[in-house]
Amino acid sequence: MTTFWLLVTIFCIAWYSTMTLYVGVRGFFDIQKMLRALKTSDEIPMNKE
Amino acid sequence: MMTHFGFIDAGIVGLYLLLTIVAGLAVRKYVGKVEHYLVAGREMNLYLGIASLAATEFGIVTCMYTAQNCFKMGFSGVVPGILQTVAMLIVGITGFCIKPLRDAGVMTIPELFEKRFGQTVRWLSGVVIVLGGLLNMGVFLRTGGEFLLLSTGFNPEQFVQSHQLEIIMSILLVTVAVYTVLGGMLSVLVTDFLQFIVMSISMLVVTVLILAKIGWSPLVETVQKHHGAAGFNPFLMDRGYEFVLFNLCLQFAVVLTWQAVIQRVLSAKSTKIGRQVYIHTSFFFTARFLIPGLWGIAALAVLTPEQIGGNTLYAMPKFLATFLPTGLIGILIAGMLAADMSTDSAYMLTWGGVIYNDILAPFRKNRQWSEKRGVLINRFIVGCIGLFLLFYGLWYPLKGNLWDYLGVTGTIYLSSMSVLLIACCYWKDANNWGAISAIFFGAFFPIGFLVLEQLPATAEWAKGIGPYKSGIASYVVAGLAMIIGSLLKKYLILNKQTA
Repeated sequence: MTTFWLLVTIFCIAWYSTMTLYVGVRGFFDIQKMLRALKTSDEIPMNKE
Repeated sequence: MMTHFGFIDAGIVGLYLLLTIVAGLAVRKYVGKVEHYLVAGREMNLYLGIASLAATEFGIVTCMYTAQNCFKMGFSGVVPGILQTVAMLIVGITGFCIKPLRDAGVMTIPELFEKRFGQTVRWLSGVVIVLGGLLNMGVFLRTGGEFLLLSTGFNPEQFVQSHQLEIIMSILLVTVAVYTVLGGMLSVLVTDFLQFIVMSISMLVVTVLILAKIGWSPLVETVQKHHGAAGFNPFLMDRGYEFVLFNLCLQFAVVLTWQAVIQRVLSAKSTKIGRQVYIHTSFFFTARFLIPGLWGIAALAVLTPEQIGGNTLYAMPKFLATFLPTGLIGILIAGMLAADMSTDSAYMLTWGGVIYNDILAPFRKNRQWSEKRGVLINRFIVGCIGLFLLFYGLWYPLKGNLWDYLGVTGTIYLSSMSVLLIACCYWKDANNWGAISAIFFGAFFPIGFLVLEQLPATAEWAKGIGPYKSGIASYVVAGLAMIIGSLLKKYLILNKQTA
């Protein structure tokens, strides 16, 4: 069982590090696309507060 | 208590807070409709969805209960996370329930139930979801405040006299409320992303440091010494089978109906993206338990019983305060603040959304509320929830493990809502009698348990039953109530028609 938990821990750290980098970069572009889509939509009344 | 938290660390934390508020407020101008406020206009794409879900579901409260779980159970405390990974993978791959839910184009789960079971069920669902959700969330702000005070070296015995806890809780609340109330889901998504980056980097650095300085073998030896074989295999624990079965039911129900999680599916651009978010985020939930769990085990290895004191929930932050060097402790606290703010903001919005969309639905029925009015009312609701967090968190005397409290309060609604969702999607004979019965009986057991736990006359008896048995009973009884109630109506009406 100790070996199982060691393998899960190693995989966890490696996976999480990779995911942070990958999601960080791709997520940034997702935000840009999302805000652009909302801005160009004809249905948005711009909040003038 | 000795700590390495200094002025540099305070500067790092302050700078990060400012950055978060600026980012959250910057997107406010894109909020013009209720749909933008609650589900970001359904423009959330895959990677933002993953970052947002990960950030929302990792708060200080997560760190605290997972660390406490592993402090008290060793590696067996990670099992709920593994079960959630399995549940999320299965649901994401198969689309079980989440496909019909997203295809329906609803903003909340009770909205789906109205289409099948009628308005009364929608309203009751909204009430029980908000009841369970707010009781569950009620301890978030307090736990966050305790973590921040402990990890920066404050003495818990002084919390009450000097009102340090109230002050820190209020500061946290105001910071979160500012961008949540004004920007809604859009602000939550953008700040979630920022918080995901800061939180992930700081967590990874701390974990690697623990493994490098303390080492894997001493951690394993600590678990072996304090918990024996049960520290590695949950079935060998006292009430081990109950623990695993309860968490299995809980995690499937969470994946299907926990509003904060399912909201990511409902906010996704398409059903396919929603399912992909689940598949790609699933392993995160093992990491979510394991990483702070290692910190809890490290606390057990390093701290003496006198240093830990009477409350095992405080062990991990006390450990971090003395273990981490200046600079890194500031980055970690900024990361934890990030995690906590993303969690608090998302949950405030989540429960606020259910109140507006479902509980207030009958009041909106005959009147057309403008989008501007709808956004204003949502903001007001979110503000009220913030105040509830402050007062409930300071008042409620937590008994037992924090994870067990969260599991029981969540079960108030998870047991019935998961049953209703499965029945709604896949059983044509399900009807409102079954739904209402399931809601009532599903809430009865966990609420009953919480009350019995607090009353002096029944506290010992409740302790003997334990949270796992009462939790399992909730799921079983909710399922039976749905089946019996639905069949009863079907046969009574059938008999009446035949007669």
